Amino acid sequence: MPECHATATVNPCSMCMPMGAVFVFRGIEGCMPLFHGSQGCSTYMRLYLAHHFREPVDIASSALSEKGAVYGGAANLKQGLKNVIAGYGPLAVGIATTCLAETIGDDVPQIVREFRQEPQASCVTIFSVSTPSYKASHEAGYSAALSAVVRSLAERSKPNGKINLLLGSIVSPADVRYIKRLLCDWGIGHILLPDTSESFDAPLTKDFPRIPSGGTPLEAIRDAGNSVATISIGAWANGQGAGDYLQEEFDVPHNALPLPLGLEATDRFVGRLETLTCQPLPEEYEKERGRLLDTMVDAHKLMAGVRTCVYGDTEMVLGLSSLMKELGMSPQVLATGSSSPNFDRLASELAPGAKVMSGADFSQIQEEVEALDVELLVGPFTGRQTARAIELPLLRVGFPNHDRFGAARQLVLGYEGAGRLVDAMANALIDDRERRPS
Amino acid sequence: MIVDIFEGREGHIREKTGSETLPLACNNESLAGAVSQRACVYSGARVVLNPLTDALHLVHGPIGCAAYTWDIRGSYSSGPMLYRSSFSTDMKELDVIFGGEKKLAKVIQELAASYRPPAIFVYSTCIVGVIGDDIRAVCKSASEELGIPVIPVKSEGFKGNKNEGYKAACNALFELIGTADYTPKSPYTLNLLGEYNVAGDLWSVKPYFEEMGIEIIASLNGDGRVKDIRRAHLARLNLVQCSGSMTYLAKRLEERYGIPYRRISFFGLEDMASALRTAAEFFTSDDMKARTETIVERELSRVLPKIEYHRSRVEGKRAAIYMGGAAKAVSLVKAFRELGMDVVIIGTQTGDRDDYKKISYIVKDGTVIVDDANPLELKELLWKQKADLLVAGVKERFLAYKLGIAFCDFNHDRTTQFEGFDGMVNFAREVDITINSPVWRLPVKRDCQVRYQTTEVEDARVPCYGNS
Repeated sequence: MPECHATATVNPCSMCMPMGAVFVFRGIEGCMPLFHGSQGCSTYMRLYLAHHFREPVDIASSALSEKGAVYGGAANLKQGLKNVIAGYGPLAVGIATTCLAETIGDDVPQIVREFRQEPQASCVTIFSVSTPSYKASHEAGYSAALSAVVRSLAERSKPNGKINLLLGSIVSPADVRYIKRLLCDWGIGHILLPDTSESFDAPLTKDFPRIPSGGTPLEAIRDAGNSVATISIGAWANGQGAGDYLQEEFDVPHNALPLPLGLEATDRFVGRLETLTCQPLPEEYEKERGRLLDTMVDAHKLMAGVRTCVYGDTEMVLGLSSLMKELGMSPQVLATGSSSPNFDRLASELAPGAKVMSGADFSQIQEEVEALDVELLVGPFTGRQTARAIELPLLRVGFPNHDRFGAARQLVLGYEGAGRLVDAMANALIDDRERRPS
Repeated sequence: MIVDIFEGREGHIREKTGSETLPLACNNESLAGAVSQRACVYSGARVVLNPLTDALHLVHGPIGCAAYTWDIRGSYSSGPMLYRSSFSTDMKELDVIFGGEKKLAKVIQELAASYRPPAIFVYSTCIVGVIGDDIRAVCKSASEELGIPVIPVKSEGFKGNKNEGYKAACNALFELIGTADYTPKSPYTLNLLGEYNVAGDLWSVKPYFEEMGIEIIASLNGDGRVKDIRRAHLARLNLVQCSGSMTYLAKRLEERYGIPYRRISFFGLEDMASALRTAAEFFTSDDMKARTETIVERELSRVLPKIEYHRSRVEGKRAAIYMGGAAKAVSLVKAFRELGMDVVIIGTQTGDRDDYKKISYIVKDGTVIVDDANPLELKELLWKQKADLLVAGVKERFLAYKLGIAFCDFNHDRTTQFEGFDGMVNFAREVDITINSPVWRLPVKRDCQVRYQTTEVEDARVPCYGNS
């Protein structure tokens, strides 16, 4: 039903900057996110994240009112910091601005400098990142927050022999757990940031901590300037400012890689780790790789030439499309709601002839999907109206996913994740065929 | 002090003791840093207006405000689906610097041309309030050009709390009402105000009114249509269900058109029956009164046995209520009484002085009343008051679950219909299946077969599924 428009955005395929910052702050141990802006922003994003992860998500707000908008929000922000520290006992507070705070011109770094004089501030680390909603998407907010955290903490002391692993784009807690397990099984000393494996997917225990446990320790982030190298995954199209900073500032060599999604991208990630550590991939993972290949061979005929539309976050779209190409599928539409010139180039190289869209909304995506006879949609749940309107199967992958269970446990990275995706895509196609009258 | 987490929140939490009415601090700004469960002015306006199914709802602001409210309301439609699409001007940096009026005007033209909606609502967001776009002027000229109502909704996020948003929505509706003529089919006519057809609620009560011989002119706004709203001034009575959001409109309609209003609720057997009786009473028709009694008797005898079954399984359990507005909270107290359950906590995001007076009058001694609570306070209260069940919205759902407490969703994105006689059966079932689920009896801590010398001290406040 939605039509395509030049100016209006109809059914958005992206979110706003502060949302991305929450993913980074929640991936730091003992860190409490705080939005400097009006109360609604924090409540809406809490609701959005609670729907996705099926977890309680606390985000504080400086709760700016009309008075604050006129006279400046410094008093509110300072009071907010005090209350968050008193109520939650955090090790760190991550401040993200909203469009209100940005437009009234609050100087957050200055307010934070002033706050550091207060007695409450003594044992709390405070990060701040500028994330005005109107500037860019949640992906940009994520990158900006990651850079802000690394810039404010990383330092040089003595070499630690570790590898920094920066997650350059939003992945699920299950994906983070997988990467951590791989590195542990491999015996590679590492600093992984941000680590949302527990904080967005907390086990049910007797004690229910005010701030969920897990997350990258502050100490580890400080130590990131002493590492042997940095690998950013999910930083193909967008780069990763945090990794570049570590290279420029501390001479830690940085490699920006795609998400290890699909066989070749995972090979590339694993290969880079082998080069850096001179340790071969553990045997168990070689077997996993073999099982993935086996799965891909099993499914190749079903997948042959299947016309797909992949949409969502840039790196996820690129990763999913490369897996599809490996299987012999035919991605027709590669779309993201974010804007990235590199995405357009990389996506066109990956899937020559496909329709590549940046800054797209679902009215535009749907138009292309219909024109190009797509058979399968892969992306967040936000494509569900499109899927229903043209009766196409939709495989929900990535954030957000509000209407199916298991978003926090959805594994797509590594050989194991790719195998699961192949199964899921194959089953979605079979289910769809069985539903249609033969 | 019952819970003592944030300085400045003392006056917002009270325990009812004796017959005194509690003066609860309320209806003021949320405390910075306390993680209020409240949203903003825009959100208030959005939830009230969005169920209008055939209107085009355009958000003038950055993409976030539109993205997070896209299709989040569980209001059903029996026809048009336009309200389930998200429309936004998606303001960018340049719009903020140079003003967004031109873009807004263009977007309105564009959308009107392709969707041909009977009306457009234009919501302002925080940023619009700061940069000072004159959306009223833009809407006025668009309206003249297009020949349809293009109505500004003054909902800048920071200019108050949700209550201000309700008001902004009511003002927008008020502009629409009285703009079309109509000859009612029945001498008995009414509007339903503050009925949002969540999970199809409206459809469970509408047939009773029809059976009574009453014509519903407009439903505001559940399964609503623009053309019905435009003629709402022709009704003889306004029934106000969600009083927090729509009493203001009811008052304005009374002032302007002389339509009296009555506050009612369709939730709970007692309230449902009394809602129908209120209407019959108003129209002073003996025939209608008799018909109403027949309906009530028939429906009660039909649903009571089903409710009795669930009641026997939940009687004596302790319930906590945390709602957006006070009307639902009050209805819930009565409904829990019908289920034989005790209410031990009751709170709202945006109740006012009168609401809390009413609440403190109907709850028992020892009940904690809380205004604008936050997760830390709710957690402490749920433990201290030993609640077995929390009734609230999605943000609170997972808090309850982590504490090992049953949960019932009574918010605008629920998917189970709770209004009317059958709705009460659904509610009773929902309460029953969550309280009596075996998951709460699973041991949270496994008995480790390796013994250590240390002894564990149990904290009495920690929920214990195994032994409770």
